[in-house]
Amino acid sequence: MEYLKFTPELANNWKNALSMGSKTHLLKRVLDSMNQSQLESKLWIIQELIKLEIEPKRVAILAGWYAQYIVPLLYDNFESLQFAENFEIDQDVKRISYAFNKRLKDDKKYVITIKNVMFDRIHGSWQHPHNQLYKLDVDTIINCACEHMYPMWKFRELNKPVLRNPIYVLQSSDDDQYSDHINCVNSEEELIDQAGIKDVMYSGAKFLSNKSTRFMVIGR
Amino acid sequence: MNNILCMKWGDKYDDSYVEKLKEQCEANCSVPFKFWCFTDKPVKDWHIPIPTTLDEFYDEGRGFFWAYRKCYMFNHGQTPGDNRHFPDNSKFLFLDLDVIIHQDLKYFFDLPNDKPWIVRGWWNDIHMVKQNYAKYKSTPLNSSTILWKKGQMVPVWDHVKSNKELIFFTYPSLDNYFAHHWYDPWKEDEGFLQGFPQGDIYSWYKGNIFPDDMEKKKIREDHKICLFNNSAETSDVEELKSLWNI
Repeated sequence: MEYLKFTPELANNWKNALSMGSKTHLLKRVLDSMNQSQLESKLWIIQELIKLEIEPKRVAILAGWYAQYIVPLLYDNFESLQFAENFEIDQDVKRISYAFNKRLKDDKKYVITIKNVMFDRIHGSWQHPHNQLYKLDVDTIINCACEHMYPMWKFRELNKPVLRNPIYVLQSSDDDQYSDHINCVNSEEELIDQAGIKDVMYSGAKFLSNKSTRFMVIGR
Repeated sequence: MNNILCMKWGDKYDDSYVEKLKEQCEANCSVPFKFWCFTDKPVKDWHIPIPTTLDEFYDEGRGFFWAYRKCYMFNHGQTPGDNRHFPDNSKFLFLDLDVIIHQDLKYFFDLPNDKPWIVRGWWNDIHMVKQNYAKYKSTPLNSSTILWKKGQMVPVWDHVKSNKELIFFTYPSLDNYFAHHWYDPWKEDEGFLQGFPQGDIYSWYKGNIFPDDMEKKKIREDHKICLFNNSAETSDVEELKSLWNI
């Protein structure tokens, strides 16, 4: 997958989201979230998941920001996908992220929850939409912002009681010029080590258009 | 019992700053109070030794959460029945050493104490605060002045103690930690901490209230307290001393 499907529905949602963003102090943040490197990083995830023949059904996205790339990419490429939940700490993100992903929110396929995932457990499962007796477990955790937070072993430990051995898709960066990049890594091995990934399905590095190196690990 | 607390560690400020703060409090507080100093060099009967239990979690190279020692105040003698220093009805007003007191501190002890109080830096642009929230920058709070009643800040101590590695790693400052866990910039009335009202406390280096009263390095004697911290200026110590002498 080397592109995002820019459908008429998506175009309409994005037009409304950008219009909303442009009326606030958040415009720069919204534009930062849409640069070339952001899309390259998210396409990389999709490419590797496809190669690994992983079919995510219920995805938790950690610190997914506006999630305007990753959520449609997941839905467009995996028929298996039922639900995606984005956990964020920035309350201003919620409204704009919902605008970007309105068509999916309206179909109850996308939710954003304000939560600091290093301090509070995520939902490990969702109620089955048609059968109240069933709960559906999260099978994939995506975190493209590992450089912004404490090492992921902590998240795994915190959520051990609610998660059933999901696949982790983790990205981090060596780009330490930003003060909020509090946990940069210098290799995919370091990311594997930080997250305590034992079964490594994929690991790699990619030099991005913003001149930084991004690392990705997929595994359990 | 009203208590005024301060804290001194390291070498930035010498003992004269503590004495000067004590003098200012004695000259500007019309209700009885006890003055205490948490210090790494206790010699007087109003000195309380600063514990060292959190020292191992502080990474001097990174400098994150550098004011962690203030958290000890939220635990020391705060348990009901522990009256060694503070009786159960105690109130606490913490002041940084680098402040100028303009008015009667009785005002603070008379404030309602349903929730602890902290400096809400009204000089911050709230849009910037929200915009930079996830970047751990532009915190709206300032821990130079904190007011609480006995035991009220124990949940903060417990949270720091339970999550110390995570907190020392994540938050550049104590103020930033407060803003993320004990305050809500989107719902400012709903946090565990409440901000002192506009007109109480201003900043020498940053101004008073955004956007209308932002003149820097201006004395506002109709306010209660002037703060000097958070400056990037190296001359702040000398500047403060010269103002004390006016």
